[in-house]
Amino acid sequence: MLAEKTYLIPTSINEAIVFAKQNLGSFKYLAGGTDVMVNRFQGNEESPCLIDISKLSDLKGIQKEGDFLRIGTLEILEELKFNKSIENEFPMLIEAALAVGTPLLRKTATIGGNILCENRCLFYNQSEWWRESVGYCLKCDGDICIATQGKNACFSELVSDTAPALIAMDAEIEVLDIDGINRVKLEDIYTGDGVTPRNLSETAILIAIYLPLNREFKTAFHKLRERESLEFTSLTSAIAIDKNGKLKIALAGVDPKPVVVKGTINDDKTTLIKQAIKGSRAVDNDMYSRKYRREMISVYLNRSFKKLKI
Amino acid sequence: MEIISLTVNNKKYDVIVNPHDTLAKVLRDKINLTGTKVGCEQASCGACTVFVDGKAVQSCITPAMRVDGSVITTIEGIADQNKLHNLQEKFVEKGAIQCGYCTPGMIMTSLDFLEENPNPSTEEIKEALSGNLCRCTGYVKIIDAVEAYVKEEKNLHPPIGHLPKKEDNKFKMVGHGRPYIEATKKVQGSADYADDIQIKNALFTKFVRSTHAHAKINSIDTRKAEELTGVRAVITGKELPVKFGVLPISQDETAMAVEKTRYIGEIVVAIAADTEEIATQACKLIEVDYTPIRPFFDMKEACEDVGTDEQIHGHCKFNNNIHKKAELRFGDQQDGLAKADHKVKVDFDFQGINHGFTEPHAATAWWDENGLTIITATQVPHYLHRYLAKVLEVPMNRVRVIKPTVGGGFGGKSDPFPHEIIISHLSRILGQPVKIRFNREEVFLTNHGRHPTKMSMEMGVSNDGDFEVLDADIIIDGGAYGSFGVVTSYYNGVLLQAPYKIDNFGFRTRRVYTNKPQCGAMRGHGAVNSRYAIETIIDRLAEKIKMDPCELRLKNFLDEKSLTVGQYRITSNGSVESLKAVMERSKWGEKYKKLPKGHGIGVACGFFISGSALPIHWNQYPQSVVHLKVDLDGRVLITSGASDIGQGSDTMLAIIVAEVLGLSMDNIFVVAADTTLTPIDLGSYSSRVTFMAGNAAKTAAENLKNQILDAISILHNVDISELNFQNERVFSNDGKIDLTWSEAIENSTRKVGALKSSGAYNSPKLGGNFKGAGAGLSPSYSFGAVITEVKVDEETGHVKVLDIWGAHDAGKALNPLAVEGQLEGSWHMGLGQAISEQMKFRDGLLVNGNLVDYKIPTSKDTPPIHTNIIETIDPEGPFGAKECGEGAIHPIIPAVANAIYDAVGIRVTSLPINSEEVLTAIKVKNKNLETVN
Repeated sequence: MLAEKTYLIPTSINEAIVFAKQNLGSFKYLAGGTDVMVNRFQGNEESPCLIDISKLSDLKGIQKEGDFLRIGTLEILEELKFNKSIENEFPMLIEAALAVGTPLLRKTATIGGNILCENRCLFYNQSEWWRESVGYCLKCDGDICIATQGKNACFSELVSDTAPALIAMDAEIEVLDIDGINRVKLEDIYTGDGVTPRNLSETAILIAIYLPLNREFKTAFHKLRERESLEFTSLTSAIAIDKNGKLKIALAGVDPKPVVVKGTINDDKTTLIKQAIKGSRAVDNDMYSRKYRREMISVYLNRSFKKLKI
Repeated sequence: MEIISLTVNNKKYDVIVNPHDTLAKVLRDKINLTGTKVGCEQASCGACTVFVDGKAVQSCITPAMRVDGSVITTIEGIADQNKLHNLQEKFVEKGAIQCGYCTPGMIMTSLDFLEENPNPSTEEIKEALSGNLCRCTGYVKIIDAVEAYVKEEKNLHPPIGHLPKKEDNKFKMVGHGRPYIEATKKVQGSADYADDIQIKNALFTKFVRSTHAHAKINSIDTRKAEELTGVRAVITGKELPVKFGVLPISQDETAMAVEKTRYIGEIVVAIAADTEEIATQACKLIEVDYTPIRPFFDMKEACEDVGTDEQIHGHCKFNNNIHKKAELRFGDQQDGLAKADHKVKVDFDFQGINHGFTEPHAATAWWDENGLTIITATQVPHYLHRYLAKVLEVPMNRVRVIKPTVGGGFGGKSDPFPHEIIISHLSRILGQPVKIRFNREEVFLTNHGRHPTKMSMEMGVSNDGDFEVLDADIIIDGGAYGSFGVVTSYYNGVLLQAPYKIDNFGFRTRRVYTNKPQCGAMRGHGAVNSRYAIETIIDRLAEKIKMDPCELRLKNFLDEKSLTVGQYRITSNGSVESLKAVMERSKWGEKYKKLPKGHGIGVACGFFISGSALPIHWNQYPQSVVHLKVDLDGRVLITSGASDIGQGSDTMLAIIVAEVLGLSMDNIFVVAADTTLTPIDLGSYSSRVTFMAGNAAKTAAENLKNQILDAISILHNVDISELNFQNERVFSNDGKIDLTWSEAIENSTRKVGALKSSGAYNSPKLGGNFKGAGAGLSPSYSFGAVITEVKVDEETGHVKVLDIWGAHDAGKALNPLAVEGQLEGSWHMGLGQAISEQMKFRDGLLVNGNLVDYKIPTSKDTPPIHTNIIETIDPEGPFGAKECGEGAIHPIIPAVANAIYDAVGIRVTSLPINSEEVLTAIKVKNKNLETVN
């Protein structure tokens, strides 16, 4: 017997939550779907129920709210560049959004989806048959991490390009979770555990992103990839400094969670770089070696400091 | 099941769907709009792009339920009834269509992007198309087409016609660039590829593949799968025990693993079921019990003695895993070494690569009163014909192989494949058509790509710049089975004896079996890696004798009409012209050693066979035959077994016949690659088609012309020498006889009925009388040169290729537009092998079997390509033509490496050239410099 499959399209957030609660343990939300559908093709995601939240208007729109710019999580990556507020205040977000995947993917992919993009690993993002051949890894109910040949922890990488950019600019997110609507710092949703990379409950919905206005961010963004398009990141480095000299580094691609280093423009740069490298738990689970990716952290950060003239 | 309503291309559909079906599946399988192609199913190739409510989406990841009620436009809805959209016209006109599999996606993506940005720069076009992979064109002509469309829409230029005609062209058809005869069909999405053809009542096949690299199969429990509703047959290897392989000397493969498996991914069980989903589900119910055997992944280890129980194949001559050993020596290498003032010996290490054609393998087979018919994506209907007969144990007259439109091959569809045999067998036992389509992972597992290679090469030069000696020791990693490997082994060595004169030359080559997917023929077959070695060594030698590397090459080129040391007959030779052309266009003299730090320029040359002179099967049949028939409608029917896989061979045949008979394309019709309807042709491999099938077509046309001449001469009492064929007329020199083509045909066919003629090609007897003399023999050789300019980031090691200037001696470009397309595609593919592509394995398991991690360069990664066709008029080629589809890939890869040396002073001895190794080498160099200082 083939499992009964359903596809639900809620018209409100409340309805989405109702659907979710009715299908606990067997559903997956779908926004743009560019990540989930590929994972489904490979059998990494097999929920019999798909809840398509792409039509929820409450999750759309970009507007100023007090000292923040609110970006609905269903905003399309390729379209962020058309927004003047983002262009003026947070150009790094556009840079990061345009570094994602390909132009075609970005026309479907949402910013919320990119933040929640499933962690990746060369030994996980494979077909069911492939994972059976290698012996299932921790992230697909196996006993050990295949990439590290035996560690009891999963090092699948955070591959979001927009998350580090947002985190470097102190973004907060509004989440509807079982305890109601909360607003938290974006970096706080990540656990560092590759198997369950985020501390959100199954039914949680990311509603909006809030970026602080008037901080006059100066930024630098880099993405390590073999080709200039059609690539998940092997290292994304985002740095923002604000008008008060506050500095924040966020890296993706070198750890299950974003690697965040905070400081000021007066801090010793070598120390900042050391902290960033030390914070990253990259393993050999990428087409680039662990060693090289760690080395590039230093190159990218130095380049960023140079660009920012600090 | 759910019902959704869609308006597709202005037509309403209510479709029953599975709730998790994708839009691509619904469009292709349920609405039968197969113009939307599926190349990866993971949103990484762009072939499936359609518009949903006016916006481009990749339909392979779009849930069908999401688009319920939407307005959808597919490629079939782009033309206005039968009038092509202007962008489609530009794609046709500019030669942007080769295999055509990426074309629908390219058109859809371009239209979407142009809506947003009607006046894009070239860079913006490259960016916009960077999610659509093309393996044929190097994107050059696709970008040309988009730019031409943009200009025309803005009325910046008057409508652009075909390529400017050469004034000195004495031919009416030959030498004029023209779109493929099937281009219109491809640009509309109506060309049928193997998976587009729906044979009614067909069952679907899925395979259980080995999860072990090397293991004894103890038992296979198929009971649960057999019990699943909708499963029609479950078969295992013992049902198809007859061995096959494309070479008669390597009959080492069975359709499915029998008793043991030899690589991870080998087919162990095949299941036919009512639907693809049921077949997939049934595969999960199969239980196979294996006992692992020691696996071999390393090619050096495979050369060592092993226990008989550990041998991958029992038939290896010694107790190791060496499949083929060969050694040839010419001249006196010891003497050459003694004479050389400078010698360089280098070890190289090359990763394997895959063809990366955009259309995954697919086929449908059925049996009826005529026996077996199979429609399959193949480059070699003839060889498949032979081996289906052999393995299924039926005479050849009970097998018919039909090649539909094929979405690229590059050597990857040039073997008879297990899946083709399996579905034929399943169809026979079930009495029902059976189909198969691969996903991208299966394409990678099937492989037959370029062999991973280790080689040591030594070369010596005199102070004056004469090449004194060359020696190579080569091991190639064949994977689990033979394929073309014996030929590949030889080509790695023998194809080093040109384009330079080297009297003292020898090599040893070994092909080993390992427990990995098998390797075989891929564009530039066998000679690509060794070309990289020799061309980078020449660069080193040039430096040692302080000579410009172009000058050193010019000094050593073989002459035209000469023999190589291994007795290859060189006829026309455009090496000098090719190299001079790229030197001039790249401004070599102003740049070499003069570019700023981090920037560099590099050169390399190459050559390749124009068809293998020796057939794979030793027999007296011609290598190519073309039949012509013309009846009262005046249209000349060409039938040929030659396989058009996107390289344009159907169009080439039409051009040749039209030229000889003075006709336009309107009076030509091509039926090709159907083993029952068309005469023998060995297939599209070894760059043989233009030369061999082209010659056969020319002879056939001349024979037909003679029949018409005879008839008219007798009827009108005029001497044959007085008659001319031109502009669809037959006329005498004095003008007294002036017949339209129709009249000429009516004159010629009265009393005899339709005219028929044949032409055949067989290579002349060539070569020496020693063992191995036949390897690499060809009736003609192509030559070429490439210069590239690169920029190396010294902190990251990242290499960016900035420009490619290429030149290739194609003898005579029968269709310059198609020749340019072949060259640009070759250089693009070489660029991939140079900087980003590799088959990466871990313990025999391919880790990057998808189009995200297997890195084919996108439009953004492809620099401007400056193409030069060199024409030398080969004495035996049709109208002087020789190959242009493979040879061009050879020089591009070492040219990139040599440019890196010019940029940062490091030598790369492995492929792909990855950033990490470049960076390490730069550091070592800098450290050495510090030590010296």
